[in-house]
Formats: sequence, C-alpha cells, structure tokens
Amino acid sequence: MIHRESGLLKTSYQADMALYPLPIARWAVAAIAALAFLVVPLLLSDYYLSILNLVSVAIVGALGLNILVGYTGQVSIGHGAFMSVGAYTAANLATRLDAPFWISLPIGGLMAAAVGAVVGIPSLRIKGLYLAIATLAGQLIIEWTINHVTWISGGVQASIEVPRPRLFGMVISTQRQMYFFLLVFVVLAIVGVMNLMRTRVGRAFIAIRDQDIAAEIIGINIFRYKLLAFAISSFYAGVTGVLYTYYLGIANYEQFQITTSIDYLAMIIIGGLGSVLGSVLGAIFVTMLPIFLRITMETFGGLFFSSGAMLNIIPNLRLIVFGLLIIVFLVVEPEGLNRLWRNIRSYFRVWPFAY
Amino acid sequence: MRATLALLAAAALALGAVAPAAAAEIVIGAQCDRTGPTQTVGTNLCPGFNDYIKLVNMKGGVNGNTIRADEVDNEYKVPPAVESYERYKKEGAVTVSVYGTPQIYALTQKLTEDRIPGTSPGFGKAAAADGTKYPYIFPIAATYWSQAAAAVKYAKDQMGGSMKGKKIAYIFYDNPAGREPFPVLEELQKLEGFEMRTFAVPPPGVEMGAQVLDIAQRYRADFVISHLFGRSPSVAIKELKRVGYPLKKVVGFVWGAAEADVEAAGGYGVAEGYSALQFAGVGEDYPVIKEIKEMYKKEGKPEPKEMKESVYYNRGVFLAAIHVEAIRNALKAKPDGKITGADAKAGFEKIKNFTLGGLVPPIEITPTDHEGGGLVQVWQVSGGKWVKRTDWFRAYPEVVGKVIKEAK
Amino acid sequence: MFDWQFAALLLSNGILIGLMYSLIALGFVLVYKATDAINFAQGEFVMIAGFVVAVAITAYGAPLWLAVLVGLAGMIGFGFGLERVMLRKLIGRPVIAVVMATIGLAAILRGFGPMVWGAGTKSLALPIPEEPIILGPLFIPPIQLLGAAVSLLFLAAFSWFFLRSRRGIAMRAVADNQQVAMAMGIDVERYFGLAWAMTGIVSALGGIVWGNLLGVDVQLSLVGLKVFPVVILGGLDSIPGAIVGGLIVGIVENMAAGYIDPYVGGGTKDFAPYVLMIIALMVRPYGIFGKAIIERI
Repeated sequence: MIHRESGLLKTSYQADMALYPLPIARWAVAAIAALAFLVVPLLLSDYYLSILNLVSVAIVGALGLNILVGYTGQVSIGHGAFMSVGAYTAANLATRLDAPFWISLPIGGLMAAAVGAVVGIPSLRIKGLYLAIATLAGQLIIEWTINHVTWISGGVQASIEVPRPRLFGMVISTQRQMYFFLLVFVVLAIVGVMNLMRTRVGRAFIAIRDQDIAAEIIGINIFRYKLLAFAISSFYAGVTGVLYTYYLGIANYEQFQITTSIDYLAMIIIGGLGSVLGSVLGAIFVTMLPIFLRITMETFGGLFFSSGAMLNIIPNLRLIVFGLLIIVFLVVEPEGLNRLWRNIRSYFRVWPFAY
Repeated sequence: MRATLALLAAAALALGAVAPAAAAEIVIGAQCDRTGPTQTVGTNLCPGFNDYIKLVNMKGGVNGNTIRADEVDNEYKVPPAVESYERYKKEGAVTVSVYGTPQIYALTQKLTEDRIPGTSPGFGKAAAADGTKYPYIFPIAATYWSQAAAAVKYAKDQMGGSMKGKKIAYIFYDNPAGREPFPVLEELQKLEGFEMRTFAVPPPGVEMGAQVLDIAQRYRADFVISHLFGRSPSVAIKELKRVGYPLKKVVGFVWGAAEADVEAAGGYGVAEGYSALQFAGVGEDYPVIKEIKEMYKKEGKPEPKEMKESVYYNRGVFLAAIHVEAIRNALKAKPDGKITGADAKAGFEKIKNFTLGGLVPPIEITPTDHEGGGLVQVWQVSGGKWVKRTDWFRAYPEVVGKVIKEAK
Repeated sequence: MFDWQFAALLLSNGILIGLMYSLIALGFVLVYKATDAINFAQGEFVMIAGFVVAVAITAYGAPLWLAVLVGLAGMIGFGFGLERVMLRKLIGRPVIAVVMATIGLAAILRGFGPMVWGAGTKSLALPIPEEPIILGPLFIPPIQLLGAAVSLLFLAAFSWFFLRSRRGIAMRAVADNQQVAMAMGIDVERYFGLAWAMTGIVSALGGIVWGNLLGVDVQLSLVGLKVFPVVILGGLDSIPGAIVGGLIVGIVENMAAGYIDPYVGGGTKDFAPYVLMIIALMVRPYGIFGKAIIERI
C-alpha cells in the first residue's frame, strides 16, 4: 500500500528510464536530501558532524571500490594506494602551483585513474585471488615510491600540508563548512555511479563480472573495459584521497596503507557487492562501528570491569566484536546490508498482505 | 532482530543518560595505542599517564580542580585519532597528548586552528621544536633530530673521540619517522667526517636478516645507530647477535630502549652491551614513582604490573606531569579556573627547570623552543639490567638548531 | 671484485628464511587444497599457537615437550572447532564470504590474544644455541636451520599423505568435487575438519619456530602477510609450490636487500618478490605449480 508500483503510467521514454520512476522513491530521496542538507547540519554539534565527515569520505571510496569489485568482479586490495596517489597529486598542486581545490581535485583523481589503469594491466591474464595479490603488489610499490621519491612526497617526512580549500573567497575550515563541502562530492559520486551503471559501459562491467568469457564472445573488449573499471574506480579513490587531505589539512601516505584497503573491502562486502546503497550503508557501518562500540563499552563496561582493566580490555574487545560482527553478518546475510534493505522493502511492497 | 533493535534503543537512551563532565574539572585528551603496532608501548605508557593523574587528584588536584584524562585508543591509525580529537574538543579539553607520528602530522593543522596545545614527546615532527612556526605543537622531549645528534655523539665518544673515516651504519624503520633524522645525520657526517650508509627496514620490520648481514659482513660497520620501533628493535638485537656483531657497538633511539625490547630479544643475557637513548629515567628509584606505589598501597591494591616496564611507564608519568604543570601555570595566570587551550599553551611556555624529582632532565620550554632542551641519557644493558652510562646531555645544539631553522 | 662471501651469505639466509615462509604457506595451501577456502587468518593462527606454547612455558613453567604437546593439541582442537562452528555454515557461499569471514576471524584472534595473554612480548626459548653455526664463510643461525628442516619434513609428510594414504586421496576427492565425493560415501564435513586440524598442526610448529625467531606477541601475526606472494608464486593448491615459492621469495628478498637497496635508498625487499610474482603470473596465471582452473560457460 505504501510502496505502490502498479497504477503508474509513464508516457515518455524519459519517464521510463528515470532514476527514480516511483513517486514513493522520489519522495524518499527528497526527504533524505532535505535531512542531509538542511536538518542535520543545523542540529548536530561539531563532534557528530566530524564523524559524518569521515563517513562521507568513506562513502566516496566505497563507491569507487564497488565499481571495481562489485560491478566488474575484479578483486583489488590496492585501493589505499590510489587514494594516496590522489592525495599527493593534489597536495603537490596545491602547494607548488597554488592550485585551488576545483583544479587539484579532478587532476588528483585523473592521476590516480592513470596509475590505477597501469596496476590493472595484469587483470587481462590473472583472475581471482591471484589478481587480488597482484593489486596488493601495486599497493606496496606505490607506497614505496611515495616514501622514497621526495619529489613526490615533499621530503623525508612524506607529509605535505595543504591550505584549506577556498570557495569564492570563503575558507572552508569548520566542521559544518566541511560537511557541506564533502556532501556535495558524495552526492556527485552517488549520482555518478548510478548513472554509470545504466550506460553501455556499466552494462559491460556487469557482463564481465558475470561471465567474462561469454562477454568477450559477444564482442565486448574485456581488456579495455577492465582497464576502464580500474581507472574509474581509482578516480574515485583518488578523489577520496584528495577529500581526505583537504579535510585533515595534510597528505600522508601512512593513512592509506593495506589496513585501509582491507577496511574498504569490508565496507563493500558488508554493505553489499554491486549496489550503490550497499556502498553507502557499508561505509557508514564500518566507519561508525568502532565509535559505537567504544561508546557502548564505556557506558556499560563499568558494570563488569574495573577502570584500569577496562582501558586495556575495551580496545581489544572492540577488535573481537568487530570481527564477530563481520562473521555473524556473513553467516546471516552474505549479500550484505543491501539485501537486508531489499528484504525490508519487499515486505512493504506487498504490505499489508503476506505475499 | 527485535532484540537487537531493543538493545540498540536501550543503548541510545543510556547514552543520553550518561552525564557529561562535571564542572570543576579540567580535561586532558590522552590518546593511546592499545591494539595497534605499538601496543607494547601504549599498554605500559598510558597506565603511567593515568596513574600520575590519579596521584594529582588524590592530592587535591591542581588548585582545587580535578584533572580528568580521557583516554582513547587510536590503534595507531589516523581516522580514530581525528575522531578522538574532535571528542576532546567537544569535552573542552585544554591540552591533548597525541600518540603517534602520523597522528601528530594529521592533527597539526587542527590543533593550531583550534588553539589547543598538543604534545609529541620523543616522536613526531622534529621541526615543531620551533615554537614560532608551530605555536601549538610541543615536542617537550628530545625530537628525532636531537636523538640523532646524541647518538652520533655517543658513538664518537665510544670510538675514542674521533670519527674521521669510521663507518657508521644507520638502520631505520622505512617510514617518515625513521627517515626524519636524515638532515641532521648528513650535517654531522660533513662535520665529523665519518662514512655513513643507511639500511632501511620496511614495515612491519620483523625480518631484517639481509640488512644485518650487510652491516656486519659486507659493510663491516664500526658503529650502528638504530632507529626502530614497535617489534623491530628486539628483532634487530637478535639478528645482530646472530651474525656475530658486538652489541656494545649499537645504540638505539628512544623507542628501542625498553625492558620489553630486551625481553623480547631473548633476555638480558642476549642483549648484553646494547645501549639506547632515554628521555626519562629508568627504574623505580624516583620519588614520584614511590608516591604512586604509596597511593596503591593505601588503596589496598597491588602496584600496577606496568611499572615493571619502567621505561615506558615512567615516560607516561612524565608526560602527564608536564601536562599538569602547564595547567598549573595556566591556572596561576587565571585563578578562576576557566582556562582554555590558549592559556594552556602559555602555561607550557612558562615551564622552567622541570625535573620531576630527577626523573627527567631540567626542561625549559620557551615560546621559541618547544622541545625543552632535547636532553637524553644513555643506558646500557649490563649484567642483567639497564645501567646508566651517561648523564643528561645535549649534543650538537648548533647543528640541530640550524636544521630546525632550515626546515620548511 | 665481486664479494662471493656476501652473496653466499645472502643466498643461504634467503634459502633458510624462505623455507620458514613455506612453513606458514603450507598451512594456507592445506586449507585451500582441501576446502577451497582462502584463509586470511593464517598469520593469526601462528600467533595463537605461539602464545599458547610461550605462555605454557613462561607462566605455567611447563617443560618444552609438554608445552609443544599442549600447543599441538590446542591447535588441532582449534582447527576442528573452527570448522564446526564457523566454516560449516559458510559451505556453498561465494568465496568472498569465506575470505571476509577469515578476515573477521583474524580480527577476533588479534584482539583475543593480547587481551587474554597481555600485550608484552614473550620469548619462546628453544634448546638450541643462539650463536650462529659457522660453516666456512656462512653464518647459519640454528633456529633457521630448525625451521627449514621442519618445513621440508612437512613437505615430505604431506606429499606422501596426499599421494598415497587413503585419507589424503579422500581429501583430494573432496576438494575436487564435493558432491561426487559425498555420493561416493566420503564424509565431506569430517574431512573439512581434518583439513583445518592439519593446518592447526602446521601453524603450531610455525608458531614455535617463528615465535623463537621473533618473540611472541600480536605482531607475530604479520608473518601471515608473507604467505601471499609465496602461495601465489607457487600456486594456491600446490604443496611443492609452497616450498618453491617460499625459496624464491626468500632469495629474492635477500638479494634485493643486498644488491638493489643500496642504489635506491632501501626498502625494496618488501615488494621485490611481488614484482617477480606479477611477472611470473603473466606467464603462468595460476602460479608456477598451480592447477589451472578450467572455466566453462
């Protein structure tokens, strides 16, 4: 009753191919947008906005990784390295050429895309876990290059401080301003992926994931599309790195190491491979879980442990619970949060009937 | 599903019910690494920090205000460090004890913008010793540049006072912190005329057989300066011993200098002769440590086992003490107790002759010098324990000063 | 003048360390060969095994042989238990689910170890000398010799097991095609459990040897990262591949550290084996000895 799909007549191809053909979907998206743009920044304090900012950056990164892993089926553990490529490119442009952020961001992304395409070259021959480890090699080589080539890294400290982004003369530095700044890019990223998957390119990606030999037979140039997938995914990763750099005010490759790549993999697997909503949900989940666990344990832990022991137990317990949640999740719903959401939606589709 | 939802709702309610900090409380933000690659340090340093705060509060706080140290585990990662920093800001912390080199780099701009002083003792950006360039970053202990200079001085003394033509091996953890001493080492190389070769140990630093073989067998170094941390110092000690290199020709920086490293290497017998730099005293024979022991005895509790790892524990105590001292100075200027980060910064810069009963060298922090002198001691493993080899000293201040000035 | 002695030293160090890497890789290969599961927690297995043995010796004062037995028993039990509790539920799920599950397991173990046994590093003393054995120009640390010997021993034992013994052949049947094996009357789940238990045994020995080499603490799990270039080079499901892969990785690492590092400022040791691995994969996409997967549309 709430989620009606019948009785809606469309009279143009445009209406049929719209991103949100159902009115309920349009209302929901409008409500979410209003919430995100108007309500949240006015109501929440700096601390919560800072968490949301971290989540926003993670969403962009997760979307990018999902393009490669979820839609094209190429497992990659090199995501962190592409982020650092983007970060350092933008940082160098910002400090050496005084480039404003609307120049350094796309160039950072493009540079990461180029590097990503190179790292993706082995994907022609190699598949599965073998490819994943080959991308890990890419991660290590890129890390080493940044660490050792001071021309890129700006000195032995390998950290480049960037000035805050300026928009029409206004400096973006408070959490609230950063929130809007990042939110714009999140929206662009989401709309970008959604539209990408409706194009020929997106369909080629999905074909490659499902059955790449058959895809090649029907004429899809899988090498080209695989490289394109790597490139687009790395573009997103590069943009993530740049956004992160502007948020922190510093570019440092130690933030983008193997653990980061694995964190992003966790995000898209928990969220759901091959779905935009999954990337968003997964990013929110993985970023906020440690914070949530810490708050829960601090609130309730005092009942069980002394304060001294608690300080030692809480962090380790957090790791344990994190791992447990991942496993429980996978056992209960291997297709991730996205599938959970779809189940809820299907339930409401036919509500109040049972089927 | 429903049970989970109910639990979550209960948690949210409980969160709301938990009261925020009390009024006459001064908050210090204390980051720690309890589960990351430097957890062997964090799990001993942070209890020291917390114990000192407890001691101060037991003695009535600072001018009647209790101090609260809010400890958060940042897992040696940057996002949790940033998130915990925002939390400290929300709680109105006046100082932050940052943990970890990438973390202090990530937070430098924020600390400066928000005007909250952050400390990074014995790690972090050595250039931050310049208080005019980095007004809100306080190394408060020997930076990697001072440590490098001290290590070279010690090596020089051990080699009979002259280094001309001698071969020095610098083995380091291949990340920005490990590479930080390069400018100072290169300057000293020119000054003292020694030959130096660097040996990078890529993270995670658990296997360095080839580098050690090179140092001992091919390069045949006359002295080894080692800048490793986490697990790698103990691995280095073991590997050097395995290839037969005399450990008395090895000196390590401050994070390769603990009882834990010696024990991990196989015990004091294995590590005999290994020397390392310290920026705080070793052992339990200091008045403030005795006071903490007394405090635990009064409560009827055994003394914390972390005290046995005295190198890290004492550093935690020192770190807390210097934060408290800064707050004390700030309160002197503003007796009403409403101090801000800027007041705490001024408080740091008034610290003079701070020795904490001999636990640390006399530290003096000024608006231009946030390092406090960069004094270190050398301790050596000898006869089954750490033995003090030199008194507090500072090496090549002109060279270090020059490098600081030239730093961007 | 080429320094032959140094090259020989590097080579011998590389061979011995490489064989020690193989020891850990063997655990990984065993599981993959029998159950098609990719175990991202291999390093953590070694760490837990090391903890159990080290704590038995230091905290409970057990003699070495007893501690080793406890470790072995513990890891075998752990393997069986793990398969029963967690992995059985994931049979039939896509491979990425198992991967993620082992990543989650790795996190659990990494939190569990230090929480229960403390974050300090424990040393695992073995009754072998610390001083290197000097064989002409070569310095051979006895612990590396022990590790290499154990590795080769396992290679022989498991190769025989899979080729000749009834259970080994049954396990290969299960790995090849679960449903047909079930139809032939093979208890698939029990063999899965056996495979994980065997990994437990290998991890136990790995934990002892590596725990002595590096000291036992949470960082010991990092040796697990070394597994990947080794098994990828050698082939995910090949036991001789694990040995050959380990040898290559060990030798390449040392040669890179000795000869390339001085020119580029160091640090090549970590990724040099990966570069070699990529080149090898372009020629043989399933590893040198790996079984090529035939894809059918």
